[in-house]
Amino acid sequence: MILKKRKIVSSIALFICFLTACWGIFWLTFIIIDVLRHGITAINPELFLKDPAPPGEAGGGLRNAFIGHLLITVFATLIGVPVGVLGGTFLAEYGRKYNISKVISTLADIMVSVPAIIIGAFIYAIIVKPLGHFSGWAGAVALGIIMIPTVLRTTENMLSLIPWTLREAAFALGAPYYKVIIQVVYRGAATGILTGIILAIARVTGEAAPLLFTAFNNNYFSLDMSQPIASLTVTIFQYAMGPYEEWHAQAWGAALMITVFILLATITGRLLIKRRYKD
Amino acid sequence: MISEIEVKNLNFYYTGGVQILKNINMTVYKSQVTALIGPSGCGKTTLLRCFNRMHDLYAGNRYDGEIIFQGTNILSKDTDLIELRSKIGMVFQKPTPFPMSIFENIAYGLKLRGIKNRGELKSRVEKALQDAALWEEVKDKLNTNAFGLSGGQQQRLCIARALAVEPEIILFDEPTSALDPISTGKIEELIISLKGRLTIIIVTHNMQQAARISDWTGFMMLGELIEYDKTDKIFTVPSNKLTEDYITGRFG
Repeated sequence: MILKKRKIVSSIALFICFLTACWGIFWLTFIIIDVLRHGITAINPELFLKDPAPPGEAGGGLRNAFIGHLLITVFATLIGVPVGVLGGTFLAEYGRKYNISKVISTLADIMVSVPAIIIGAFIYAIIVKPLGHFSGWAGAVALGIIMIPTVLRTTENMLSLIPWTLREAAFALGAPYYKVIIQVVYRGAATGILTGIILAIARVTGEAAPLLFTAFNNNYFSLDMSQPIASLTVTIFQYAMGPYEEWHAQAWGAALMITVFILLATITGRLLIKRRYKD
Repeated sequence: MISEIEVKNLNFYYTGGVQILKNINMTVYKSQVTALIGPSGCGKTTLLRCFNRMHDLYAGNRYDGEIIFQGTNILSKDTDLIELRSKIGMVFQKPTPFPMSIFENIAYGLKLRGIKNRGELKSRVEKALQDAALWEEVKDKLNTNAFGLSGGQQQRLCIARALAVEPEIILFDEPTSALDPISTGKIEELIISLKGRLTIIIVTHNMQQAARISDWTGFMMLGELIEYDKTDKIFTVPSNKLTEDYITGRFG
């Protein structure tokens, strides 16, 4: 009797889990299919090769936003990744014995979940305001800062997974600590750290809020990082709110491209993790 | 018999002042195999790790006393640990190949010594692998990942890696406890073949192993070196009752 009751309760619980999973997956696929459906019609060579046409006119593309977004992301990566990797290395290696390391780890965990817009406002206050204008650099710094805690914590975790005996073996051969880290520990943790970097890039690629405060936007093609520069996410925001059909279509196209990029980056990250654990 | 290492009144404390080694005195002889035996937790691995100052990697450890090697006290603050560890190599309980190819594993220590010449690296890697009786098994796959080797081969790779830099002494910390009997046999043969060329100190749980391969044996208990003598004597006519009880299997 009691066994039968347990079985019934178990199947009810299982059924509820199944339903909630379906509910989540439904919206996720709905969004992706919707982006795909609307976006695919806007994808044409002009979208990538031409700059925006004056409002209301047909044609034109988002070359400025694609290039601007790429620039911001690349520089954000160059700012965020070295700090994150070196910081994570400090926490897992040299800083092991200090209590401050645990504090930094915890702070980084909190930083991961700080809303990106707060970072944007912060950079607005310390870079945009003193300089008196928006700039691509400010955008790159904001995204770079958002990347740091993710990269830092992944690096720290991946390095901690490398067994101490391996470090001892390198020390026993007479290697100084920095060589032990660079030549032995990093090699063992490379895939894991790379995965963290890719996932961090995927995360910042989709950010719009911090860029609104920092890089702002630019309707013209520009490679000048010291001036306002266009980005896909801010353009989506602007175009989606705008009154023109053309704009809406292009916003869908940009949304699709970003989604595809994030999807590919995430899948690459997952595959790397999988390969790592197969070895 | 020439002495290689003199241990004088060595005491060792872990974090918080817990004393692990108590007033150890012993002489390790050059080109001989010295075995350290004793029940778990007796301090034999701790003693072994004093010889290359491995304890320095962890905060809070403290040495007291002297270990004289080549005329200087290696426990002194001025000791260059990098130089010390290039003269005193170590092989661990579990095989510890680096995440790189077989060739690179052996070449690692050589590169640390500044050897960059490709030809010299190649010949010394080959020599080390031959000395470790691994050459025939790996000569066609030097560029494959070292993790692809079996446990016994990995351990011989680690021995080759230690041999490549031509140390004066190699410390073995229970090198066969994670291996099957056949691999164990090969490593024992290897250690015997190295006798006369360099000094070997080996910690082992296996008393038969100590009896088979060593010239000198130290029996340790609760952080003290109870008896240290020629292996023949320890295993036939030990002078201490505790040693006799241990080797005849009455405890431990």
